[in-house]
Amino acid sequence: MTAVASGATVRPAKRGWSFLAPTILPGFGTAFGFTLAYLCLIVLIPLGHMALRAADVGWDRFWAITLAPRVLHAFYVSFGCALAAALINAVFGLVVAWVLVRYRFPGRRLIDAMVDLPFALPTSVAGIALTAIYAPNGWIGALAKAAGFKIAFTPIGIVIALVFVGLPFIVRTVEPVLQDLDAEVEEAAASLGATRWQTFIKVLLPAILPALITGVALAFARGVGEYGSVIFIAGNIPAVSEIVPLLIVARLEQYDYAGATVIATAMMGVSFLMLLGINFLQRWTRSRHAR
Amino acid sequence: MPADPHSRRPAVGEGPVTRLALIGLAILFLAAFLALPLAAVFSQALAKGFGAFLKGLTDPDALSAIQLTLTVAAIAVPLNLVFGVAASWAIAKFNFRGKSLLLALIDLPFSVSPVISGLVYVLLFGLHGSFGPWLRDHGVQIIFAVPGVVMATVFVTFPFVARELIPLMQEQGVEDEEAAIVLGASGWQTFRLVTLPNIRWGLLYGVLLCNARAMGEFGAVSVVSGHIRGKTNTMPLHVEILYNEYNFVAAFAVASLLALLALVTLAAKAILEWRFADQIAAAKR
Amino acid sequence: MAIEIRNVEKTFGAFTALGGVSLDVRSGELLALLGPSGSGKTTLLRIIAGLDHADAGEVSFDGQDTRDRAARDRKVGFVFQHYALFRHMTVFDNVAFGLRVKKKAERPAEMDIRRRVGQLLEMVQLSHLASRYPSQLSGGQRQRVALARALAIEPKVLLLDEPFGALDAKVRKDLRKWLRHLHDDMHITSIFVTHDQEEALELADRVVVMNHGQIIQVGTPAEVYDTPADSFVFDFLGGVNRLNGVIEGGVARLDGKAVRVDGEVGPNGPAVIYVRPHQVELDVAPGDGVPEGKWSARVSSLHAAGPVARLELDLAGRALEAQLSRDRLSDLALDVGSWCTVDFRHARVFPAKN
Repeated sequence: MTAVASGATVRPAKRGWSFLAPTILPGFGTAFGFTLAYLCLIVLIPLGHMALRAADVGWDRFWAITLAPRVLHAFYVSFGCALAAALINAVFGLVVAWVLVRYRFPGRRLIDAMVDLPFALPTSVAGIALTAIYAPNGWIGALAKAAGFKIAFTPIGIVIALVFVGLPFIVRTVEPVLQDLDAEVEEAAASLGATRWQTFIKVLLPAILPALITGVALAFARGVGEYGSVIFIAGNIPAVSEIVPLLIVARLEQYDYAGATVIATAMMGVSFLMLLGINFLQRWTRSRHAR
Repeated sequence: MPADPHSRRPAVGEGPVTRLALIGLAILFLAAFLALPLAAVFSQALAKGFGAFLKGLTDPDALSAIQLTLTVAAIAVPLNLVFGVAASWAIAKFNFRGKSLLLALIDLPFSVSPVISGLVYVLLFGLHGSFGPWLRDHGVQIIFAVPGVVMATVFVTFPFVARELIPLMQEQGVEDEEAAIVLGASGWQTFRLVTLPNIRWGLLYGVLLCNARAMGEFGAVSVVSGHIRGKTNTMPLHVEILYNEYNFVAAFAVASLLALLALVTLAAKAILEWRFADQIAAAKR
Repeated sequence: MAIEIRNVEKTFGAFTALGGVSLDVRSGELLALLGPSGSGKTTLLRIIAGLDHADAGEVSFDGQDTRDRAARDRKVGFVFQHYALFRHMTVFDNVAFGLRVKKKAERPAEMDIRRRVGQLLEMVQLSHLASRYPSQLSGGQRQRVALARALAIEPKVLLLDEPFGALDAKVRKDLRKWLRHLHDDMHITSIFVTHDQEEALELADRVVVMNHGQIIQVGTPAEVYDTPADSFVFDFLGGVNRLNGVIEGGVARLDGKAVRVDGEVGPNGPAVIYVRPHQVELDVAPGDGVPEGKWSARVSSLHAAGPVARLELDLAGRALEAQLSRDRLSDLALDVGSWCTVDFRHARVFPAKN
């Protein structure tokens, strides 16, 4: 236990800068020390080490690897499909959340519990199950084939897998906000002559929007990195339906450590920038529609 | 059946047609994306009858995969449980500089692709990794072996328990602990007799989610395991191998076991949420 | 046990919660720390309990410095504002907690614990609820459980943080009386924090008025009420008229007429004259002008419910509140719109703040 640890023996704190606010609760040193050590060991050192290995490669090679057409296309597929899936989820996730919060109907609780299935179902299981359904000989795939198009083994398949994976993120972030909405505000809108649709667009949606954007961001971030549920349904055709995580795995299997490291680092960089952007967007909406 | 929360407010709420349409749309969407895959798993597993299903499950490689999955979870979950309790104690009960940075860092594994979560360990401990040669010289194998699988799983499930406990403990504040200490309890007594009972259901909730992910992780584990049958294959990996060998019945048989685990997890989660909503998290109240 | 507090300072970041506070708490007294929120009263209470650490200064119990005594060893009974009852324990287990966590050598036998908890529950009149959980109790009952729990460790000092703050008005009054009786029976040195002046004046042996991290005045309820140390105390103890006047050559004047004031008169300049409503003397207006040294006012509204009548008067454009008995009111035969003369039995004057 470090010196700051035991509240019992803490001397009157010096004024000015202090790391820990005075307290009588014990165990901070132990808990904080363990937390930091474990965090460094499991997360920070391995991730930092990867970034260092990427830096070792050198700028020129870094860009050469990242900007190769196949890699660029994989980025395009990964980010594009993740965005498409997140936007689809924004619409349907909102409908699901709305229905679960606002309406009472038989089976509501069951459905409510089932929304978390993508959190709980291992991704490889989801992957083969979705493939079985959407492959040309599957339940829905056969229907699509009859209609003349293909779902599995195309980017559409990837989007479907990512819709599955991202759904709970949207529903679970929007639900509490919908629950907290003050019904009086809606009554006020109605009493002022707004139609239901006008009320939704002008009153409700702005209140939900920050949470919806958060949900979309979470689903998007998860979708970009998703691997297990996608690789079965994607078909993994280079420059058509190949995603970045798969490319990383492929490079590793060829013992191209530098390639895998560079692509992984670039992907984390891009994800980070996009999340930063979304964060700004979120603050902006929140300040505009401050509740 | 309880009334709609908004039905007592006649001025707001949708008409019956809109209402039915929205409910129908939601159910249709969820059926296509959630129920159908689940049904597919079980129907494919039993496509060739119960015998074939059982054969797929009792295959020695399948049994070894089940055993490895249980072992990995039995190591990863307690580790992250201890971490989660320590982290939430430090973060929720004390005020110190850099707290929000620490919170963000704890969440970091959530936003890292599973594949990268595996890759970082390959780069450290793999044959061509920074410590690879040294480890080889000392006869220690981490990558393509069980320790690597455990490490990748720990990384991926790292934030789960902490993420559940931190908001819960923040909301509970420090008054209970202060009361216990003024009454003469030691630090350990305070934690055991006051804090732990206050967070027990939230803790169980976090462990449940952590365990589901630990047993189901695929991407990270796939990178570090090397897919050695009977040795480093977990259940999700075994599913992939069988599937790629066109052994669909066996693949879906193992998959159905994992799907069952997911359903049990969901049921337990729902029960916790209904019965102990206020003791799980402030936000779910 | 007596408590001496010497020059205690405490800051939270840029905020000064306590700026060098000294106070002697007498053994066996019931002391109120009274002040608005942010005045430092709760911080002082927590420092005495050992829940917070002072930046400077010392707190001693019967002459012994407490700095190296951790909260758990101070033998202080603390009743938290929101009670902090352990919700997974029954009422009985809550009260027994402090006895059960004692070191093996000091811990009473389980039978003695039962007996002692039984006595305490009887004292707080909750024996019949021993096996209930805190969530099944009313606010007043929780409050009494918290008190019994604090008393179980036989504290030398009892500290109560806003003990009645979370209760509704009726329960609050009952509990107040009950707490006073309890204190009279047990004579434990007790300190309670409150922002309710009525509660402090009614319950405490002595009142400590605090503001901005400073002690403004210490005294019996009668002392602080009748001779407030400054305008803040006057204001905070409630029910006061503030009339803008001036000080000229050591005399306070209102509309040119001298006001008899108690205590010091400050330097020349604008001043505020403080007078409590029941110190306003009214009389029937004589037909011919205003008598020497008195003022004239018109009744603008009148509330006569209960034994005391409250009048709002217009004194040359200023609102003035007066209180008098119903009998006196009927003697004067005042009504809305009638004129009367005004005098002040007791008043104080303080220089006006800009």
